[in-house]
Amino acid sequence: MSSWAATVFVVDDDLSIRRSLTHLFGATGLNVAVFASAQEFLERYDPSASGCLVLDLAMPGLNGLELQEMLAARGSRLPIVFLTGHGDLPSGLKALKSGAADFLTKPVDATDLIEAVRAAIEKDRIARQVNAEVAEIRRRFATLTPREHEVLCHVISGKLNKQIAAHLGTVEKTVKVHRGRVMDKIKAGSLAELIRLAERAGIQPS
Amino acid sequence: MNWVNFIWALSIWASLSLAALHFAVWLQQTKHLAYLLFSVFAVSVAAIALCEWNTMLARNPEQYGRMMWWVHFPMFSGAVSLVGFVSLYFNAGRPWLGYTACALRLLDLVMNFFAAPNLNYETITGLRHVTVFRGESISIAEGVVNPWIKVSELSWLFLLLFVADASITRWRRGDPNERRRAAFVGGAIIFFILMGVGYSGLIEAGLIRLPYLTSLAFLAIVVAMGYELSLDVVRAARLARQLRASEDASRESEARFRILADTTPVMVWMSGTDMLCTFFNKTWLEFTGRTIEQELGNGWFEGVHAQDLKRCLETYTSSFNARQSFTMEYRLRRADGEYRWILDTGVARHMPGGEFAGYIGSAIDITPHKQAEERFRLVIEAAPNAMVMVNAEGKIELINAEVESIFGYSRQELVGQSIEMLVPDHVRSEHPNHRGGYFTHPQARAMGAGRELFGRQKDGGEVPVEIGLSPLQTPAGLFVLASIVDITERRNTELELARQRNELAHLSRVTLLSELSVSIAHELNQPLTAILTNAQTVQLLLSKEGADRGELPEILCEIVDESKRAGEVIRRLRVLLKKGEINRAPLDMNEVVDSVLKLIRSDLVNQHIAADVQLTPDLPLVDGDEVQLQQVLLNLIVNACDAMAEVKAIERRLLVCTEVADGREVRVSISDQGRGISPEELERIFEPFFTTKKVGTGLGLAVCRTIISAHGGELRAVNNPQRGATFQFTLPATAQGTE
Repeated sequence: MSSWAATVFVVDDDLSIRRSLTHLFGATGLNVAVFASAQEFLERYDPSASGCLVLDLAMPGLNGLELQEMLAARGSRLPIVFLTGHGDLPSGLKALKSGAADFLTKPVDATDLIEAVRAAIEKDRIARQVNAEVAEIRRRFATLTPREHEVLCHVISGKLNKQIAAHLGTVEKTVKVHRGRVMDKIKAGSLAELIRLAERAGIQPS
Repeated sequence: MNWVNFIWALSIWASLSLAALHFAVWLQQTKHLAYLLFSVFAVSVAAIALCEWNTMLARNPEQYGRMMWWVHFPMFSGAVSLVGFVSLYFNAGRPWLGYTACALRLLDLVMNFFAAPNLNYETITGLRHVTVFRGESISIAEGVVNPWIKVSELSWLFLLLFVADASITRWRRGDPNERRRAAFVGGAIIFFILMGVGYSGLIEAGLIRLPYLTSLAFLAIVVAMGYELSLDVVRAARLARQLRASEDASRESEARFRILADTTPVMVWMSGTDMLCTFFNKTWLEFTGRTIEQELGNGWFEGVHAQDLKRCLETYTSSFNARQSFTMEYRLRRADGEYRWILDTGVARHMPGGEFAGYIGSAIDITPHKQAEERFRLVIEAAPNAMVMVNAEGKIELINAEVESIFGYSRQELVGQSIEMLVPDHVRSEHPNHRGGYFTHPQARAMGAGRELFGRQKDGGEVPVEIGLSPLQTPAGLFVLASIVDITERRNTELELARQRNELAHLSRVTLLSELSVSIAHELNQPLTAILTNAQTVQLLLSKEGADRGELPEILCEIVDESKRAGEVIRRLRVLLKKGEINRAPLDMNEVVDSVLKLIRSDLVNQHIAADVQLTPDLPLVDGDEVQLQQVLLNLIVNACDAMAEVKAIERRLLVCTEVADGREVRVSISDQGRGISPEELERIFEPFFTTKKVGTGLGLAVCRTIISAHGGELRAVNNPQRGATFQFTLPATAQGTE
């Protein structure tokens, strides 16, 4: 994914702030979407959209920290850059601990903000890339039959074909056939690669 | 039967009867000589008739001549009495005509003495007997007529002229009754004299040969005159009867007056034209315990109090001389020796003809009334305030000593003067209108309806006052009692208090703002952030080749707007921090609420407080100081927020609403959803230095209440039915707001 497709989502209750940030990000060449409240953002937000969230900490209704919690609860990994009106250290620490990408104080220097936003977008891009690879590996493992999956679990735990056959109550030749099919479906060139892919897909050896 | 005898005897008898009758009348009223003269005339006529009768019965010329001689005596007396009668009865006629007639008659009488046989005939040659009345024979003289008889005829002529002149004069006087009398009596006299004398003349001229009948003509005159005189007698009798009746009525009226005068509870007196008293009724005498003899004349002076006598006499004398009614009050000694206040009213009295007859007066004991008046005067005098009693014409009736001390006028200078004397110059011209309005709708109330009132002192200075008005409805009419308080002291104290209140309010405001500093900083930070971001965006666009600069104007506009917004925050802050004079102006409380909420907005956000603002549109304006009212709102909102610190964020709701109450007030309520106020706290929260907060001066609410009170409003706190508390204040709408 390229960075131009990413969008900066701005949530701030102050119209003047929303407008100025729209101008700034627009001039920087970033896509911008603005929301006047956390609720509005939750209603219109598409989790698949990439980019980052520039979030005002103090807002009527849901505030910044509450929105962060709700997004996390929904499994969103959208990086968040907090903007706060005053140096509220406890809130800042809590935000960072909850995975905020950055925490900036108003009035914010445009260079700092753009840098933080770019970093967050890059982070999101990488995260999305990793997520895409794992999904591909998982999709391959999902094509295995239950018997093949059984054989795979034994293989990645380092058992020999003979041991596996004994364990499954079958002949060694049959195990060899299953094993060959697994290697084909997973597109693994070696046992070491198979083990690494199984690990990324989160498959536990038995 | 002999008719001649009968007629002449009857004539004589009739004449004598009338003579006797009128002589009797004259004896009753001797001053009416007309009756006597009439009697003389009637007797004369009788005598003439007797002489004539005798001539007719004469047997020889000598007898005839003698009778003719005698007849001149009654002729004289008849003529003279007739002149006298006419001149008296008609009260007219030229005297010289009458005198001439009488003089000629006298001449005739004198000449008759020297004539033989008489003045009528020089000689009577014989008698001729003629038959009348179916065979009755009478004598008629034949002889030579004496030329001197012309004197007699001339006398009759003058008599005729005199009577005619008198009758015409009488006629001209115009009264219908007089005219009738002149025509009847005058006409009769003239007609019958002409007839009688003319007939005699014809006999004497020898033209007719008939006996003398003069007496019959004269008898007709007697009858005519007698008839008129009888009418007078009848009229006089009627008048006498009327007079008697009116005297009776007058006596009756007099008696009625006495009964009335003696039974009335009012004391009555009368005086004559000499100012001396001529009558006192029983009530008066019983009151003074003196006899009528003691009181008559100037005797009553003895009962009048020595201090009042001079004044009393002056009033009485001057009114008497001017014939004017008078009323006077004086002390009169009662029978028991006590002096009682008397109200005495005198009026001039006149006779039916309009002639002044003296005075009549009535007097009543007004001591109880005087005592009540005196008590009222003492109460007024003892009042701690200045009191002024004014009548419907705006004249000062009564004042107390306090008025003298406030206004610097003496009692004598004020009583009887117009109340406008005490009204300052610039409002004096309107005052009579206000006063008139009050008298149309009198009710006890304060004067001026909220305006500051001043009184004008003798030296021209003005003194701040407060005036209460009460109407006094009395039998003598409506009065207004004004109670005036000099509020100079109080105003000075109030000014000092107001100064201290402002000082305190300012301190409280500064404290409040320091509590709000974070919120205020945020309010400044927002526009500054937008400005900075926008400014850097501009820089970015300008530094980058080929950048789209179409947005530049818009961005610059925003920079300008945001700078203004920041400036506005600063201005609001500066206003609140200013330590200035109170500056009252008509305010829209909706705008004040709006302005305060803008200042505190971020504070609400930070505290997760949702503000529900319900402003009633077209609120009446209130007269107030914007800064102080903002301070009150700010304080109450901050308190409401603090009260909700312990409440779950989702439940923190602040309600601010404005509304119209009772049509003449604006009510602003601030409700929270906190834990409410405990009964003990509720009693004390407005006390200075009472606080439920960990940090706080305890002055906030005390100052708020002072500010609202100074605005003529009220600040109250109540717990909400469900949860939390509501602080509510009212402010009176300005006059123009409610109209």
